[in-house]
Amino acid sequence: MTTLVLVSHPQLADSTSQQFLKESLPDETIIWEHIEGQSTLDVAKEQEQLRHADRVILQFPLYWYAAPAGLKQWEDTVLTRTFVYGDHRYPLAGKELGIVVTTGMPKQAFQRGGAENMTLDAALAPLAALAHRAKMTWLPIFPIHQFGYLEEPEKLQLVIDYQRYLTQKQPDSLTNRQDWFAHRLSAMVDQLPAEQQTAGKLIANVFDQNREHLDQLTDTLAMIKEQEDD
Amino acid sequence: MTEQSAWLRQQIDQLANQQSKFTDRAFWLALKQVVAEQDRRSEQLGGEVDGRTWRPDRW
Repeated sequence: MTTLVLVSHPQLADSTSQQFLKESLPDETIIWEHIEGQSTLDVAKEQEQLRHADRVILQFPLYWYAAPAGLKQWEDTVLTRTFVYGDHRYPLAGKELGIVVTTGMPKQAFQRGGAENMTLDAALAPLAALAHRAKMTWLPIFPIHQFGYLEEPEKLQLVIDYQRYLTQKQPDSLTNRQDWFAHRLSAMVDQLPAEQQTAGKLIANVFDQNREHLDQLTDTLAMIKEQEDD
Repeated sequence: MTEQSAWLRQQIDQLANQQSKFTDRAFWLALKQVVAEQDRRSEQLGGEVDGRTWRPDRW
């Protein structure tokens, strides 16, 4: 799967959250681009990247309930009517569109009655409309609230949640989560130093056994339910 | 939590603590959470299998 991450931030180098996310990028095929870092937008290249991607991530800080101006400019320049739907070819159809948005306000602010009195889904509705118009699949938004206040355990969690948002099959079910980890586990074990290999292999084995056991239980349950229906 | 899963989580913690790279540590700790979820789901599914199998009306 190819994921295209388009980052919009007017001062990327000054953003600790964006630097953190960049350091957290998974090893897989990720195309990462800083929109404001392009001297001019090469429309053909941008459109080609979109065609090539399976999942497109728009990543930005929330400025006045919207993305920074740079992303809007990118949209207006790259997402021409002809490209998105004008000729009825819909080159983006079936691709997934995900949003990674950082906010200065806490999670509870983004609800009716909260300090912002607005959900992120409502604020970012124009992007969801765009996904709909392009026949893309809208992924649940990935918000990061008040990055500066996160403690180390939360940051550790964020690394993997972010990687999974970029590369894991959706929806975020236990089955898909297990598959994501299973896919990476052997490579993670292989890169361990020799003295940690045994522990790594043992953990991987138990993880696999648990996974098989769950599959068996699910099958058994399905069989019982089937018989109950008879 | 069973004895085995408590032991496994401890093993993962130990391995995670030995990783110098932040993203590697993050991977093992996140795996620990999936293992915990596996345990919980397995217990729930096992309970449901038992519950549905226990049908005195079909004896």
